[in-house]
Amino acid sequence: MTGRVAIVGSGLGGLVAYATLRHAGVGGRSLEPAEIAVFGTDSDPAGAWRPRAAAIRQQLMRSESDGHCWPTSFPGLAAREAARRRDLAPLVLSVCDRYRPTVADFLRHVDELRGRTRWDESFHAARIRRVQAVDGGFELDGYGVFAHVLLATGHPGLARPDELAGDSRVVHAYEPHQYAGSVAVVGAGMAAATEWLNALAAGAEVVSVRRREPARRPLNVARPLFSKRGLVGFHAASAPERVQLLRRFGEPSYPPGASWDAPIERAVRESRFRVEPELNGSEQVICATGFRRGFEHDPLLARLAADHGLDTQERWIVLAPDSTVPALTDSSRTLSLAGVAGQWAYPAGDTLVGMKYAARRFRGRVGSCRTR
Amino acid sequence: MSYTLRGRLETRLIAAVLPFLVAAVLSPLLHKWWPLELVGLMVGIGLVLDIAAYHRLLPYQPGWAALPLGLLELGLTMGAARLLELNAPLAPALSLFAGAWLVQQLLAHAALPLVRLTWVEDGGELGRQGFALAAAAPAVLLLVLGTAWAVEPPTVRLAAGVHEGPLVLDHAQTVIGEPGAVVRGGILITADDVTVRDVTVRGGEYGVEIDGAESVALEDVVVEGAELDGINVRRGQVEIRDCTIRSLPAAFTQGIDISFGFDLAPSLVERCTVTGGLEGIVTHFARVMVRDNRVTGTELRAITMTEMSMGTIEDNDVDGALGVGIFCGDYSHCEIEDNVVADVAPDRASGDRTRQGVAIQAHFGAEAELHGNEISRSPGGIAAFVDATIEHRR
Repeated sequence: MTGRVAIVGSGLGGLVAYATLRHAGVGGRSLEPAEIAVFGTDSDPAGAWRPRAAAIRQQLMRSESDGHCWPTSFPGLAAREAARRRDLAPLVLSVCDRYRPTVADFLRHVDELRGRTRWDESFHAARIRRVQAVDGGFELDGYGVFAHVLLATGHPGLARPDELAGDSRVVHAYEPHQYAGSVAVVGAGMAAATEWLNALAAGAEVVSVRRREPARRPLNVARPLFSKRGLVGFHAASAPERVQLLRRFGEPSYPPGASWDAPIERAVRESRFRVEPELNGSEQVICATGFRRGFEHDPLLARLAADHGLDTQERWIVLAPDSTVPALTDSSRTLSLAGVAGQWAYPAGDTLVGMKYAARRFRGRVGSCRTR
Repeated sequence: MSYTLRGRLETRLIAAVLPFLVAAVLSPLLHKWWPLELVGLMVGIGLVLDIAAYHRLLPYQPGWAALPLGLLELGLTMGAARLLELNAPLAPALSLFAGAWLVQQLLAHAALPLVRLTWVEDGGELGRQGFALAAAAPAVLLLVLGTAWAVEPPTVRLAAGVHEGPLVLDHAQTVIGEPGAVVRGGILITADDVTVRDVTVRGGEYGVEIDGAESVALEDVVVEGAELDGINVRRGQVEIRDCTIRSLPAAFTQGIDISFGFDLAPSLVERCTVTGGLEGIVTHFARVMVRDNRVTGTELRAITMTEMSMGTIEDNDVDGALGVGIFCGDYSHCEIEDNVVADVAPDRASGDRTRQGVAIQAHFGAEAELHGNEISRSPGGIAAFVDATIEHRR
């Protein structure tokens, strides 16, 4: 296989990057499907995300109007919904930072974008296990050499506490499940909060097992850190400072609001909800503990770092501010990391906005490359 | 949206380009500087707020904040416009501001994110193109000002001393008198866009005659001893400020007469002092604002708005008139507000019941709307005659 541009990973991060490359923009040229190769195991970009959202019965996105996969910020989901419904309410909610798209709308737009960008023409069903830097590009595990490669491999698997290994009561929040009469939910982030409400709604008694109180904030990361205003300081921070910041951003949180608090307060009054530091004898244990953290849990990234002696800091591969791997990127080739692996460049890398951050800079490098 | 300081300034300046262009078209059309001055003021205040306040206070600016910030900027801009006496009419000025604000919102929320994919992430910065685009606003302003300067009517300076008139101004120009500059025999203005400033006029049938000319400005003009009118305007549009009309010798002289320009833009008489004469300030079939003047010692009426005129008479000081103080006559529509009228004496010799010391009078089908006037020592008080109506507004 020959080509100039490859995307490794066929999830939402891959779709964002693909749509961005396919976008011409003002004075630009879009890449044709034949010029891009997408490698992944599932041709549905929402294939991994969809069952997880379904497992926690998620109805609304945590992201706002900008939380979409289209290449341009405008029109966002709020503007499109307003136009579709001929109703200004989504726009009003959006300017007040109160707009939350529905999961159904989000998945619909993913399907629409997949068709419109002709994603399937570029998709190759293959799991890339190794990326090797070679002259003029990167050799992808026997599938050819590509000058510009973006790795959007997603989260490296579900996190489960070691002490619960082998416990038959345990199910991960992102796996399909029903609710027993008494449920212990381990964790304190968005998925955990969603599971508290789900289990309560199903009539269960709920024990929230957590070692610290979750933060209450609308988004994982402070808003200024989504743009240059906050990123300048983040990029200027020393490596240890940046590690501390990223650790802090990774602490569990979920949004404030009565829709979260009221059902829990009611359940507390009815003695159906309580907080415990340790597991007790609940019939069911739901691990709302998110994903494994760190590049070393991703076989492809771990091997990439080891093969090329990449600079790393704790669980992060060190990246340039434009989300490229400095040691493997020059005027003739680009290696970018998107998604959670791109957090060293963009703290909210695992969000859709973060995926766009990496994708847009990748597009800029592809567009300006002399060898393209 | 989290703007960087550069992003804020670039966005502000780029959004100012279109309003500047609109103002550059409006100003010559209206023969007024206020559109350009207002946009300049608006952008200037916005830039100062960006640097001094917004950048520090708003690390993140939610979409809804555009509304209160816009209202804040509107208040400051209109306040500054009033302080600097831009004389921008309220409704058009508000429309211009609202249009500029809307352009800014459309650019920030739609156009700029479409033009540059990374615009939001870059805190509103547009990279290298941003410098060029942001420079466009000041460039447009400089271009407009340069063009205006190039086509600006010539300025003529009248040296101190007496210049024999009549002085005829038949093309656009600005005449500025040095201290002690006097024109004897009157000034005749027949061209648009003439400004006369700091000049004393002595004698002549009319001290200053404006015939068929628009966008004329008289500032700090003193008229002494005119035989008929101190300032006479026929089919013209004028703004008269800070004038003094005195020593009117004959029984038929008038201070300021603005007539037969109803179809033209409104005229203005402001902060003038008129002493003596038959009538102080009079309008016939014209739209005029008579504001903040002092009129004393008139023989017929102090301020007259008649023959289907329309306008406002406000904040004037009328003192020592014989017969009638303020007169709204002959199907005119007058708003008469906040005037101080004192010592209007009855004209007993006339035997006319409508002239018996009436402070404010509506006459012959005229409609006068009154509010906040102070009247003293005027036995005729406020009165309406011959199908005229007076409405007291609260």
